[in-house]
Amino acid sequence: MQKKKKSKRLGYLMLLPALAVILLIQIYPFLDGFKLSFTNSNLLSPGKEKFIGVQNYIDILTKDKEFYSSLSFSFIYAISIVVFSYVLGMLIAALLNMNMKGRGIYRAVILMPWVIAPMVMAANWLWLLNDQFGLINHVLMELKIIEKPILFLTTRYMSRFTVTMIGVWKNLPFMTITLLAGMQGIPGELYEAARIDGGGKIKSFFYITLPSLRSVSKVSVTLLLIWAFNGFENIFLLTEGGPSGNTMVLPIYAYNTAFFRSKMGYASAASVLMLLCMIVLCLINQKFSRNNE
Amino acid sequence: MKRAISRMIMYLVTFAVCFLLALPVISMFGTSLKTKTMAMSDLGMFPKFQDVYLGNFSKVLHVESFVKSIFNSIFVSVVAMIFCVLIAAFAGYAISRFKGKIFSGFIGLLLVLQMLPMMLTLIPMFMIYKGLGLNNTHAGLIVAYISFSLTFAIWLLKGFFDSVPMELEESGLIDGCSQFQAFIRIILPISKPGLATVAIFTFVRSWNEYMMARILIQTDELKTINLALQKFVQENLVDWSLLSAGAVIATVPTLLFLLFAQKYLVQGLMAGAVKG
Repeated sequence: MQKKKKSKRLGYLMLLPALAVILLIQIYPFLDGFKLSFTNSNLLSPGKEKFIGVQNYIDILTKDKEFYSSLSFSFIYAISIVVFSYVLGMLIAALLNMNMKGRGIYRAVILMPWVIAPMVMAANWLWLLNDQFGLINHVLMELKIIEKPILFLTTRYMSRFTVTMIGVWKNLPFMTITLLAGMQGIPGELYEAARIDGGGKIKSFFYITLPSLRSVSKVSVTLLLIWAFNGFENIFLLTEGGPSGNTMVLPIYAYNTAFFRSKMGYASAASVLMLLCMIVLCLINQKFSRNNE
Repeated sequence: MKRAISRMIMYLVTFAVCFLLALPVISMFGTSLKTKTMAMSDLGMFPKFQDVYLGNFSKVLHVESFVKSIFNSIFVSVVAMIFCVLIAAFAGYAISRFKGKIFSGFIGLLLVLQMLPMMLTLIPMFMIYKGLGLNNTHAGLIVAYISFSLTFAIWLLKGFFDSVPMELEESGLIDGCSQFQAFIRIILPISKPGLATVAIFTFVRSWNEYMMARILIQTDELKTINLALQKFVQENLVDWSLLSAGAVIATVPTLLFLLFAQKYLVQGLMAGAVKG
């Protein structure tokens, strides 16, 4: 007994450094941000910070049009990314799960959009989508699909479509790889039995593969929803939220409010609201996936 | 015959998918091998073999601010990596081997933290850093990066330690080691592949990170490679081949990572997602 107690203390001690980092660098700033959201803290007038109660929240919710437009595009953006990545990821995972030579190479290639620096990828997309020298416009024109170059990132609806599709492109690898991992965990006997019973490949996909992937799907969809909703870099590096705020999402809106307009308190309140929206989104997602069972 | 055709279709579709996903990477390599004027006029992905031009790489490596940013990125990422792996190894071992409320509570905390919007912690962090004089310093960025990768590092290492059989430590304990000594002398050496994977992983994460660097670093002198690249994009909108060469250099660590550690990363993802 004495010995067991002693050894547990070792466990606590080993946890200590990580706990200290998490408390100091994640939890403390988080709580501080919460506090900040009830003040009029402004970078331009340091030291004149005053407690103003829920005034920031009232201002955002009653007057701030930009907040609402960012909020709605944030929802559309995150949900589209999850839906498209899930469907496409499922198809690609099913493809890669077939008996093929060189699977490791395909897997490495497919992971690229996910692991290469967002800045590098954004720069290359800007180049590919360029209206004068971009490869994509060039190919589409050669094929006579379009007559004039498409302005991918500078018109209202097109820019929203483009940043969302690049978001899908970026998150597809994660979905594909986790779903593929899930598929590889399904015992082969199940398919064997289905074949003996005379079920076709498509039937066994719907009756064996999909149900077996339920828990993997739940985890990866929730994670992706959170990442997409909190995502800053993808859109920021492509359009900075433009043209004229059309691709503005909440993280970029909060960033601009804090670091361009210097309104730290106001931006913190917006971030707290962002967290609340995300929690709501996750709850809806959970309810939805439970109904499906 | 029918089988052969369907196999061919399967490979074709796979190649098409891989091509689409890798398109920006392929185009980046192609463009980096063209001259400035060729990048604008020759719209094929790669230059013709006799036209291959390597000058962009030597040119970009003569841009002083870019080279400085490479060293900044290496420094910040390496230091963050060392601390992160050390801290995560201890914590990962603790939650792999000890059971109890505190340990399961810690695991829950790790999961909840994944949900926090980074902007919500970054705004106050910027204010705290300003007060402490850590704003616009590499030390501040390193601290931020340690916490940025810590959760996933702990998670991956817990998985590795879980797969090391308990008997190994027990044999050490019988030989008279304390459990901590057994961890240092037996478990850590065995887990070298796992530690290496996590090390590379945290290095690449910091190397690729953009948002924190953007907020916490303002001076050109201290900028990391992604910030330097972005400045490049803004200033050199005409010289895409030079820019692509810079981007290729920024991608090298990631590609090496894909080559060597991809298998382990996939296993880690798998373990995380399948266990849920």
